Amino acid sequence: MIQVKNVYKRYRNRHGSGWVLRDINFTVPRGISVGLVGRNGAGKSTLLRLIGGMDHPDRGEIIRKCRVSWPIGLAGGFQGSMTGRQNVKFVARIHGNDSFIDDVIRKVEEFAELGPAFDEPVKTYSSGMRSRLAFGLSLAFDFDLYISDEATAVGDKSFKEKATQAFKEKVGKAGLIIVSHSEGILKELCQAGIWLDQGQAYWFDDIQDAIAAYHESIRRS
Amino acid sequence: MRSSWQVTCSVWHAMFMREAGARIMADRFGWFWMFAEPVAYVVIMIGVREMLGRTRFVIGADFIPWLITGLMAFNLFRDGVTRSLGAVEANKGLFAYRQVKPVDPVLVRCVLEGILKSLVFLILIGGATLLGHPMLPAAPLEAAHVWLSVWLLGVGCGLVVSAGGALISELGRFVRMAMLPMFMLSGAIIPVQMLPHAVQQKMLYNPVLHGLESLRLCFFPLYKTVQGVDLLYVWLSALAALALGLALHVRFARQLKMQ
Repeated sequence: MIQVKNVYKRYRNRHGSGWVLRDINFTVPRGISVGLVGRNGAGKSTLLRLIGGMDHPDRGEIIRKCRVSWPIGLAGGFQGSMTGRQNVKFVARIHGNDSFIDDVIRKVEEFAELGPAFDEPVKTYSSGMRSRLAFGLSLAFDFDLYISDEATAVGDKSFKEKATQAFKEKVGKAGLIIVSHSEGILKELCQAGIWLDQGQAYWFDDIQDAIAAYHESIRRS
Repeated sequence: MRSSWQVTCSVWHAMFMREAGARIMADRFGWFWMFAEPVAYVVIMIGVREMLGRTRFVIGADFIPWLITGLMAFNLFRDGVTRSLGAVEANKGLFAYRQVKPVDPVLVRCVLEGILKSLVFLILIGGATLLGHPMLPAAPLEAAHVWLSVWLLGVGCGLVVSAGGALISELGRFVRMAMLPMFMLSGAIIPVQMLPHAVQQKMLYNPVLHGLESLRLCFFPLYKTVQGVDLLYVWLSALAALALGLALHVRFARQLKMQ
C-alpha cells in the first residue's frame, strides 16, 4: 500500500521555482494497478520518482508499506566496463542475501537471451541488448509494487511478445504504477487512474474515466 | 524484511565488489597497474630526489626509506580525498536503487583505496629492504596505527569534500589545486627539520604533517622530528572531519542525490 499525504514538490533552479506538485493526496491499495496521465510537464515522472523513493517531497510524506521496485527497464545504473553478469550480480547483491543471487542471475540470463554477450562488457551492447538486460533484471525480482516510466517492452518482435507476457504475469500478482502516453497499454494494464493537472492529482477508480478527464482538459484548452 | 544495517552491509559489499571490479577491468592489465602505478610513482620521485636533491641527509633515518614512508602516507591521504571527490558523481545512476545513499560510494572507495595503498606500501617496504635499504618498521603495531589514522584523516576530508563538492561544484577544482601545496607543506619530500623555526610553527597546523612524522618515528627509532608533532592532533582532526563529513552527508543527502 502506498499513501501519499499532502505532498508538495518543486525544483529550484536559477529561473525560479514553480510548484510541480501541490498538496497531493491519495492512497494506492495493495495489488491495484494505476495509470498516471497528464500533459507533458504535469509532474507524472516527478510523482513516480517520489513514490519510488528516488527523490523526496519538499513537504508532506509518502508512506510505503510494501516493496517498491526501481523504474522498470532502468539502464542508468549499469557500469559499462563490467559484464552483464557482473552488473546483474551487483543489483542482486544490493537487494538481498547471497542465496538468491544465483537465482536472480539465472533468471535474467534465461530471460534476456543475450547468449555469450551476457559475459561481455555492457559498453559493447546495443541499445536493444541493454534494455533486454534491464527489463530482465526488473522482472527477476518479486516486488509488491512495480513502477514504470514509459518503459514497455523494447526489442524485436519475439522478445516483445515474451516480455509483455512476463510483465502481465508479474503485474497480475503485484501492483503497478505506470506513466505512459500509450492509452492502449494503460487500458490493458491498469484498473485505476490518476490524472495530474496544474499540480493537482485527481483519482479515478476507473482508468477510462481518468483518460476521459485528460482528453476533456485538452479539448478545453 | 531486512534491517537497515543488513541493507547497508549488502550495499557496501555490492559496491565494494563493483568498484574493485571496475578498477581491475578499467584497462588492459588493470590489476597490474593498480599496484605498478603507485610503485612507479614512488620510484620516480626517489630518482628525481636522488639527482636533484641537495638535502639527502635526514637525522636518524636513511633517505630512501624516509622518502618512501612520507610519499606513501601522503598518497594515502591524498587519494582518500581525490577519489572521494568524484565518487558521488560517478555513481549517480545507482541512486535509482533506493538502498544506495550518496555516502556509500565515498566510504567504499576510501576502503578500497586504503587496502590498495596498504598492499603497495608492503610491496615497497619489501622491495626496499631486499634492495639494501632496510626499512622494516621498528614499531610495526604503532606504525599500523599511525597508517590507520592517516587513512581516517583522508576519509574524513574525503567525506567533507564529496558532500561539499556536490553542493559547490568549484570546490573539487580548488581541492585538486590545493593538493600540490599540501604535498610540499606535509614534509613528504622536504625535511621539515631543515626549515626555519618560524616556518615550522606555521606548518604544524597541518595535521597531515603530524601523521607523516609520526609514521616515520615508528619506522626509525633514532629519527629526530620537529618539536610539537603529536598523533593526537591527527586523530582529533580526523574525528572532526569525519563528524563534519557525515553530518553534511546526512543534511544534504537529498541535494546530493539530485544534483
